This record gives sequence, C-alpha cells and structure tokens, in this order.
Amino acid sequence: MAKKEKTLEAAMEELNQILAKLETDQISLEDSFLLYQEGMKLLKYCNDSIDKVEKKLIVLEEGSEDGV
Amino acid sequence: MTEVYSVSQVNTYIKNLFVRDSLLGYLSVRGEVSGCKYHTSGHIYFTLKDASGQLGCVMFASLRKGLAFRLTDGMSVVVRGRISIYERDGRYQLYANEILKEGTGDLYAQFERLKERLAAEGLFDKEHKKPVPAFPNTIGIVTAATGAAIHDILTISARRNPYVQLILCPAQVQGEGAAAAIVRGIRRLAALGPDVIIVGRGGGSAEDLWAFNEEIVARAIYDCPVPIISAVGHETDFTIADFAADLRAPTPSAAAELAVNDVSLLEGTLVDLHSSLLKSMQRKIADCRSRLGGLAMQLKYTSPAYQLEQQRLKLADMQTRLSMLFRQRLVLARKETALLAERMKAASPLEKLTSGYSYLADEEGHMVNSITKTAPGRIIVASVTDGEITAEVKEVRKINRNR
Repeated sequence: MAKKEKTLEAAMEELNQILAKLETDQISLEDSFLLYQEGMKLLKYCNDSIDKVEKKLIVLEEGSEDGV
Repeated sequence: MTEVYSVSQVNTYIKNLFVRDSLLGYLSVRGEVSGCKYHTSGHIYFTLKDASGQLGCVMFASLRKGLAFRLTDGMSVVVRGRISIYERDGRYQLYANEILKEGTGDLYAQFERLKERLAAEGLFDKEHKKPVPAFPNTIGIVTAATGAAIHDILTISARRNPYVQLILCPAQVQGEGAAAAIVRGIRRLAALGPDVIIVGRGGGSAEDLWAFNEEIVARAIYDCPVPIISAVGHETDFTIADFAADLRAPTPSAAAELAVNDVSLLEGTLVDLHSSLLKSMQRKIADCRSRLGGLAMQLKYTSPAYQLEQQRLKLADMQTRLSMLFRQRLVLARKETALLAERMKAASPLEKLTSGYSYLADEEGHMVNSITKTAPGRIIVASVTDGEITAEVKEVRKINRNR
C-alpha cells in the first residue's frame, strides 16, 4: 500500500501550528495571507484524506497464503 | 492356596508395589472435588471424582503451602502427589503435594514463566511500543472469520467511520495450530502495510485464549512493523499478547473504538479548524484595517490641507459670528431710530403749526424769535400749516415772560 506523504494527524498538527502563528500579533499581513492559504490547503487536504467512500470488508483468502 | 498371609502383610506388599511404581510416585490427577473436609488437625480430606469414578485424597497440614486457595466441593482441580496405601483401612489414596485450579493452575505457572522470560528479554518494553495512529485509513484484523470479535469490530467501525478500510485475515484462534495461524495472519497483514492491526478474539475460557499466550504470537507481535492492538477476551483477561502489543484493548469492541477514529468528531474538528482559520485571518485583516484607519486619521490631522481646512472653518465661524453681531447691532439701531423718529415727530414744528403756532422769519429767511430781530415797517414771513403769510410789522412791544 502506497503511503501518503502526509498523515491526517500531521496535517492537523500543522494546521494547529499555523493557527497559533496567525493568532499572534507579531506577523505581517503578507505572511498571514501565506499562512492562511497554507492553512486552507491543509484543511482541504484533511477533508480530502477522509476518503468518503464506504469501504467493504476485505477478507483475505486462505488459499492465497504464502506459507509463512 | 498353600500360604496364608496376614492383612498387614498383604497391605505392606501392595504398598511396596505402589512405591516401586514410577507413575504412582508422582502424578497429576484431574477431577472434581467432593466431600471436602478441613480437619482440625490441619489436614484436608476430600474425594476427586469424574464421570465414572472417584479417588480419595488427603493433603497433610505440613504441605498446605501447595494449596493457594480455599478448596470447596464442585471445584475442578488438578492434584499433584503420590498414590499410596493407607494400611489401616486397606485402601489407596492420593497424597496431595499441590492442588491447582483446573485450567489456571498449570497454565498460569507457564504463563508467569513465559511472561517473566519475555519481559526480561525486553519484549514488553515501552521503548518498543509503536504509537497507534489517530486516523488510520486501513486496519488489519487477525481473528476468527466468524465470531463475536469480528462482528463487534465491524459494527463499531461502521458506526464510527465507514470510510476506514478493514482487512480481515481469518485465523483459527483456539485449539491446535491456533498460535501458528495467528502468527501467519499477523505476517500476511504486515506485508500489506495497513496503518494498524487488531489481533484478538472474544471471551472464552483460559484454554480458549491460550493461543494468545504462546511465545511465537508474542514474538510475531513484537517483530511486526505495523502497530498492533491486542484485544483478547474480556476486560479481566490478560495475555502475553497483551503485554507484547503496542496497545492493549480490554475487548475487541474496545479495540475498534481505539483504532477507528470517529469521523463525525473529526469532521467537527475540521469545521472548527476552518472557522478558527477564517476568524484569525479576519481578525488579522480587521486589525490591519483599524491600524490603517488610525494612521490615516493621524496623517489627516497633521496634513497641511487639514490645517488649512481648519483655518477656513475657523474663519467661516468668525464670519458667521460677525454677521450675527452685525445684524443684532442693526436691529438695535433700527429700534433706536424708530424711537428717535417718535421723538422727532413729537418735536416736529409742523405739529406746533397745527396747534396755532407759526414760524417767523425775515425776508432773508432768518428766524425771528425776538423783538430785537425785527422792527416796525419790516416784513416778516409766517409759516403756517398750509403756506406762508407775508406781513408788515406795525409795532414791537417787550413783554417779560419769565415772571
């Protein structure tokens, strides 16, 4: 299974950090715009990574066992 | 029958047979306790039964340390000891050294030994525990294809987050070969690389859960690169697998709760994050705007144009006051004039003329108000209301009016 480069956890953590930065006053408007854009991207990423397709249980076949 | 033996001789003979027997010297017997008596001497007398037979037993007071619990009728136990003859009664019985609860006793000792050994080896060390991801996409499950465990996991997973992919690797979880099947399951799933693996089964007897106390299972869990949640039996059941796992769930249901994040909570969190993001940005912009407003105001107040405007306003104000004062003054002047006009009117000579007085002047127009300003024979002009009368003076006569 191909691993995504970023986990949902990591994305949310990043988002929290961005929020923390945005909430301080020591930040220029330009920087805050960049952070905001980055935040919105992360949010979209989070929403996208909750892959909203109902999944059916996959049952591995006994026959295909690799004889470990 | 050539020889006759005494009872004691027979009993002694049989006893010697028993003593020489290698099995009867030390053996374990499983059965159910009945007729249990704790004698005042400290000895315990009881009978072991099974479906078709019974065996008298005694545990001497001196060996009571081999019994860790209170023996009661109906208990299934394993008694270790030797079988010998009680010569007085001519019957054999089991002399117990150790009495263990069936199912737990023997296994329990094994369990403790294995636990100690693996712990010493570091299989249970915290440093080796992998964190279980909070938002897994794929969860592997090693358990029986049918049974309460998979059912519970499926139900809870579907309720909390139907978008998580579950992969079941069916494995026999009890009986001969169960441990090997569990190990195979773990390895197969690990090869697929799910985010977390749940290994477990529903409740059962200690023997039913035994596969999860096997060393190979513990090692497979320890070696697995994917974090493993153990979920064996009930809350009170602790297995070696639980100690080796990265996280122990008390039950399969609890494992599903631990592994599968609640998507509605997650969605709520994302909505909150979105609104905080929006709010902080809006606040930031509002801040900047108000700062800008402040600066603009400052700039405005200090600009020459503003100063000029201020002067202009002051001027306009003064102008207004000026014109107002002037108007007031005008009104006052008008009033005074009117008053004067009244007085003038009152003082008008014309008024006097109407009441019979007249104005006298000589021919050159000089006022004649004294006899000294005219003389008999001179002409005087009298002004009356509707014209002038020219007359000649006949005489002048002095009259003193200031009497």
